[in-house]
Amino acid sequence: MINTSTFLCILRRSTVAGAIVAAAVVVGPASANKDPVTPKQLKLYQEAFMEEVRKGDLLFHGDAAMAEQLGVKLSTTGWACAMCHPMASDTHPHAFPKFQQSMAKFATLRDMINWCIEKPNQGEKIDPESEAMKALEAYITWSNTGSVLVPGKY
Amino acid sequence: MSDELDRIRREMHAVLQPPGVRPDDSLQITRRTFIHRSLLFGAASVGQTFAWWPLLNTIDVAHAAEAPFKFAWISDTHLYERSLNTRFVDKVVRAVQEVQAMDPPADFLIFGGDLAQLGKIEELELGVELLKDLKIKKYYIPGEHDWYLDMGKKWGELFGQPNWTFDHKGVRFIGLDTVSRGPDYWTAKKMTPEERMGHMATLDGTVAGAWAGVGREQLDWMQKTLADWDKSKPIVIFSHNPLYEYYPPWNFWVRDWREVNDVLKPYTKVTNIHGHVHQVLYNEIGSMRSIGMLATSWPWPYAPEGVPKLTKPMIRVDPGDHFDGVGWETVNVNADDKVDVEYIMWGRKEVFVQTPEDHDKSIEEVIRPRIADNQYPWANP
Repeated sequence: MINTSTFLCILRRSTVAGAIVAAAVVVGPASANKDPVTPKQLKLYQEAFMEEVRKGDLLFHGDAAMAEQLGVKLSTTGWACAMCHPMASDTHPHAFPKFQQSMAKFATLRDMINWCIEKPNQGEKIDPESEAMKALEAYITWSNTGSVLVPGKY
Repeated sequence: MSDELDRIRREMHAVLQPPGVRPDDSLQITRRTFIHRSLLFGAASVGQTFAWWPLLNTIDVAHAAEAPFKFAWISDTHLYERSLNTRFVDKVVRAVQEVQAMDPPADFLIFGGDLAQLGKIEELELGVELLKDLKIKKYYIPGEHDWYLDMGKKWGELFGQPNWTFDHKGVRFIGLDTVSRGPDYWTAKKMTPEERMGHMATLDGTVAGAWAGVGREQLDWMQKTLADWDKSKPIVIFSHNPLYEYYPPWNFWVRDWREVNDVLKPYTKVTNIHGHVHQVLYNEIGSMRSIGMLATSWPWPYAPEGVPKLTKPMIRVDPGDHFDGVGWETVNVNADDKVDVEYIMWGRKEVFVQTPEDHDKSIEEVIRPRIADNQYPWANP
């Protein structure tokens, strides 16, 4: 049996808890400062991504103006990435990181990009954090959209 | 591949490859051709294909030659000026020396196009200079890289007519020009010759469109050329592009391949040897066999779809070795009704993959056309 004072205590606590839940529902999103992402914002994010894809596409295809704009020298032989990798074929971004025999190490896609710049292209290695690297990575992964992740697969 | 495209391809295949129609009715049942036949009657999975292929470095093609002979093929040298890229020069020098050293010597050399990379006078002249050391008779067909800077002017001055025919020891040889009839993508966009060449020189570009084709007038010429030729006598046709549909986005085809097939249909011993793809390829369409040749410059990966079922893929190459995955070919026409195409891939005893994992498409990929060349100012309306 529950006596009267216990019942009142439970009622009081429930009321307080209820009030907190109600307040969280009403003011919570505002106090956490989170708004839903608007279609306009989504479009802007996508445009920011596609702009890097475009830059990466140009670099990948040996565009001299874009290389100059981003301050990189990806080749000295006339060779461009796309000459061995049309449509970024055979770059396998979905397989990295993996052991890469040509470098004899566990490598990332960025390591591989720099290896190709230095070896076949005989160009100058780029900063892994540079815009040029991120743009190349953006283009390569974008072009392979839909490929299934198989990390480590050689 | 979309269901629609798949359906169209199946329909085409049914028309072009009706039951019982294969190249060369008089074909000997060799181990390899037996395996080809077994593949034709069942859609073999990749695993099955690899399990069944024999370890041979030659492709057997049946012919009826009057006397045994051999010839050599070099293509896709993609020469830049010597000062810019010496590696491509080194590889042409090596191929020329090796063809020159053949014993017994080759009867002639076919150069299968893309001598130059950007169609420049200096590049084409460098090619002529390097090939000069080869003393046998040489025949040339053009590639798109040779053509679109000056629309074939320099190429014509150096090598003459881009299509030609001759008979040699019971075989009729035909050289086709599959590159010069591209649609005009440059005038409306006011491109400079260098810009026109740049778009053409980008294999995965979207601006130059479906440039590979034989053309009605050349098809008529081919028909006329073959009119007096016995239907059962051997024909070898050289073209830069494959004469069937493999992968149109990279122009691994000629857009009028159905018409080509119509012209060749009555002839039972037709072999097409082509460049452009920089990879080992084998296919059969109707009564024609088709063989893809290596480049000396660099190898292309196989396309993500459309690789003929009958192709046993080449090994995956080491990108750190610029002599890997490339080379040249000899074609031996034997008295016992056989022609062997032998791939000379430098530094490799085994040209073909030995395991499914060694195929460059062992990791499945989905890829899409580029976008940067399809925006202002090159976008199509």
